[in-house]
Amino acid sequence: MDIEEVKQRAGPREFSPKDEMPEEYRKAATRMIQFHANSEIMGAYLEKPFIRQAPSLDRKLAFSAKVQDEIGHGQLLYRAAESLGIKTRDEMLDELAEGKGKFLNCFHYPMESYVETPMIAFFVDGAAMRRQATLKSTSWEPYAHAMDKVCFEEGFHVKHGEAILYELMTGSKKEQEMTQEAFEKWWPRIIQFFGPTNEKSTHHGFASEVGLKQMSNDDLRTAFLNAYIPKAEKYGLEIPDEPRISKNDDGTYEVVEEDLDWDEFFTIAKNDYEPGVGQINGRKAAQDAVEWVRESLDSHENRLYGSSQPQAAD
Amino acid sequence: MIWEVFRQEKSGDYHKHCGNVHAPDREMALLFAEVQHGRRKPTNSLWVTPQKEIGEVDTEDTAFGGTTDKSYRWAMTYNFEAAASEVEESESEQATADRERKAQIEGGS
Ligand SMILES: [Fe+2]
Ligand SMILES: [Fe+2]
Repeated sequence: MDIEEVKQRAGPREFSPKDEMPEEYRKAATRMIQFHANSEIMGAYLEKPFIRQAPSLDRKLAFSAKVQDEIGHGQLLYRAAESLGIKTRDEMLDELAEGKGKFLNCFHYPMESYVETPMIAFFVDGAAMRRQATLKSTSWEPYAHAMDKVCFEEGFHVKHGEAILYELMTGSKKEQEMTQEAFEKWWPRIIQFFGPTNEKSTHHGFASEVGLKQMSNDDLRTAFLNAYIPKAEKYGLEIPDEPRISKNDDGTYEVVEEDLDWDEFFTIAKNDYEPGVGQINGRKAAQDAVEWVRESLDSHENRLYGSSQPQAAD
Repeated sequence: MIWEVFRQEKSGDYHKHCGNVHAPDREMALLFAEVQHGRRKPTNSLWVTPQKEIGEVDTEDTAFGGTTDKSYRWAMTYNFEAAASEVEESESEQATADRERKAQIEGGS
């Protein structure tokens, strides 16, 4: 299949490993799914400490279920990426450990206090879910299938995050203030979750032409703001003055781009942001520590079935 | 040799188990599957796999999802109006799954 035919046929779940896809498509899809998978994993590591730090047994259990879900999402997505024949799962995990794998901006920032958890669990999961819901109709079928399961589970994450936000915002004065502070710190990052406006997003054009991406960053951001600004206000959070956000007559939002720190955003995108490097290295240490488990599983598999290389790159 | 057959109705769907056929090799298993399972029901694709290659664990071996109360992992537990339509959709899928699971446990297996 050539690119022209791909563009013509591009529709929900249109292409599967049975189709001869051009390399350009397979590379673009790999880049997108690998980014998504990396983000699931890095998000899980960000929240992991709160299994211990959460203030009640219920919250600890919920965080542990959630972190487990997110690692599972990462694994599902690496499988979907692997099915494109460009990179193996091991290669992608190694890239992540070596600081070459890219992932969402929000997961480069460390999370220090429990009051920050709803910023991820409610707002970032909510933003991610908005995007994931549209990806149920991406053109790479294994990716869409992974989204079925991911979206099934995500509703719990978002509502659990909301429950924590509600609890904090109806708690002591001190808790409310700390939560507002955390919100002010995270809000610009959450807005940047959807990236710069379309003109500056280099990969958008091709990815949407071949049906991988279903909605533009701007439309996703608008849908997110429509749903989550009212929620933030409902719980008594004050939306920070910056970035300036105005609502157009047609219901879309205009975010004043200069109010956001794009230098930081692009430093993060290159994995050069200092606190984020710590997050990456922290996960690498965990990966190294269990290397012996992978090794013994691989040698067990080799003994039973011979070489275990799954769908290596062609 | 017995081959398990999985039928996909339309492109993009999951292949769902629909029965098995008796055949001496994969090629003939596919042919028999085509005749027995792809003739009347809408079919986009069929898979066959040797029955002995399938692993199984069932309710006699394990309690799926455990037996302790894990309501904390369901969206329905958190009593807030869903923030967005996709959250609502996820919650209703979970509610359905939970209802079916409970009915199965009560009904015995
Ligand atoms: Fe996830
Ligand atoms: Fe999540």
